[in-house]
Amino acid sequence: MGKVKGKPGPLARRPDNSAFKQQRLPAWSPMLTANTVLPFFYFMALICMLLGVWLLLTVQRTQEVKMDYTKAGECSRCFEKLKNESNAGQSCICTVVLHIEKPLKGDVFFYYGLKNFHQNLRRYMDSRDDGQMVGRKTNLKNPSSYCMPFDRDQNGLPIAPCGAVANSMFNDSFTLYYNKLGSPVKVPLLRRGISWYTDKNVKYRNPKMDNLTLAQVFEGTAKPLFWQKPVYELDPFDQTNNGFINDDLIVWMREAAFPNFKKLYGVLHRGDDPFTKGLPAGTYTIEISYNFPVQHFQGRKELVLTTLTWFGGQNHFLPIAYLVTSSLILLVAIVLTVVWWKFGKTGMNMEE
Amino acid sequence: MYTALPILALSLFDQDVNDRWSFQYPQLYSPGQLNLYFSKKAFVRCMLHSAYSSLILFFIPWAAMHDTVRDDGKDIADYQSFALLAQTSLLVVVNTQLCLDTYYWTAVNQFFVWGSLAAYFAITFTMYSNGMFLIFTSSFPFMGTARNSLNQPNVWLTIFLSTLLCILPVVAIRFILLQIRPTINDKVRHKVRKEALPAPTPHRKPARRISTRKSGYAFSHSEGFGELVTSRRFLLKRPLKSRPVLFATTESPLAQNQPQHYRTITEEQDPSV
Repeated sequence: MGKVKGKPGPLARRPDNSAFKQQRLPAWSPMLTANTVLPFFYFMALICMLLGVWLLLTVQRTQEVKMDYTKAGECSRCFEKLKNESNAGQSCICTVVLHIEKPLKGDVFFYYGLKNFHQNLRRYMDSRDDGQMVGRKTNLKNPSSYCMPFDRDQNGLPIAPCGAVANSMFNDSFTLYYNKLGSPVKVPLLRRGISWYTDKNVKYRNPKMDNLTLAQVFEGTAKPLFWQKPVYELDPFDQTNNGFINDDLIVWMREAAFPNFKKLYGVLHRGDDPFTKGLPAGTYTIEISYNFPVQHFQGRKELVLTTLTWFGGQNHFLPIAYLVTSSLILLVAIVLTVVWWKFGKTGMNMEE
Repeated sequence: MYTALPILALSLFDQDVNDRWSFQYPQLYSPGQLNLYFSKKAFVRCMLHSAYSSLILFFIPWAAMHDTVRDDGKDIADYQSFALLAQTSLLVVVNTQLCLDTYYWTAVNQFFVWGSLAAYFAITFTMYSNGMFLIFTSSFPFMGTARNSLNQPNVWLTIFLSTLLCILPVVAIRFILLQIRPTINDKVRHKVRKEALPAPTPHRKPARRISTRKSGYAFSHSEGFGELVTSRRFLLKRPLKSRPVLFATTESPLAQNQPQHYRTITEEQDPSV
């Protein structure tokens, strides 16, 4: 006997007979069939191979020269000197020689590289005050507690810029000379425009000035412990590059993701001979003001000169990865074809 | 939020075969009953898949970024750009995997998948905008990252490679299993593509219809389920042709999906005819 179901009461909660609620929406129902999957795999293998070849040719067009100068030549003397911490404030100038066999054609970019420096450590990354760097007066005199212990110096004055990131700023400087027929020619480097536009113009701003000089604006603050010069004197040649908007400071404050990194130092100025087409081949002398100590964390320092393409620098990983992926996909496609041919083609497995 | 909504849509709206075929082949319900979808083997398979994907989604961006710069020489190997790259790769991989898993593409699914991708980019660009940084400085320190890294073709090529390496093995394994060891679901779906839909399931008729079965029901009673269940008609494999069809329906797939065809679940006279 079945129940009488004629009353409207028990049926009042029945879902509507609409397409949406009875799951009858118009739909497309794809399925993995042989004639979609196999051509797709072959096509992907082809795409990856073309991409790999193209990227490899692009990367081969870049040229890179690296030089590790931690203990190179005269700099080992500076290295030993910096082992003694009381010498930290004294500058040490050393010279290294660099040979370039093939000329670097096009725009040449100079980077300083550090190895084994973990800018991605969490406590290190937290130790900064973005509010202070964006120019807020309240944060200037009262740095955030995240900066501790680098927020105030021993006299109680607030440090500007506060935090461990700013404190550990890289302070080596380089001057390159090209040895042309015995007389060295200074290589002109553009040291502006090396930071992101958004960083330089929005994220880092000096506190409002209103007819005061930068030194007066920063009055009542102290320089970070490891610095030799206060923040408003970082660039003696260009007054608009001082304070929090100093390009080197901004580049350093953008923490690197990995312990071995390089940061932009300058771009070759190609206005005059003999640098109009890039860096000519030959012998170069680099005068380094060696200030940054790396022995405490077993780090290394290096100088990198490179040309770039739209793909950016000399990194062979992506082209090679695409080529490897393309061969793997091809292999898999062949395996799939064999499997389909032997088992699935007749559709015998599809019978119940 | 970006990943939860598409999965929700998948679970609510997905069907591998439609309801007519499900009635036709009740064996489709047996994998669920045998707990084939959530066994230890399935769990281990899931874990291996996620371990492999996580390795790909970290190490491919790492290797691609660890010594690179932007095309104008400026930094791209910084912490914020790398985080954005890893997250974007993840989103793309998850949404592509979802698309693979969806057997029943409705407008709602499409909206959720594309909507979630669009929402991700919209929210990322908003969070990394100048305004948010200037108002909530310490909460949104990633200002400018999206603009400066996502315009590099390098970054998009890395995302494409990670997606390929995560998705293609899944497609290959599924294809091989389909050829060698198809499940009952696959077999029915294969039939769906090859054959026409079965006849609509029999309607439980209102009392006024002439019953062709030799049963003892009186005219005035409405028919219940008891007779159907005890006659074991649910277990039949062939379509029931013993009763004449009440409504003249066509066999085209589109007609089956039209809401006017009211399949009575109870014994009332159908008002919508």
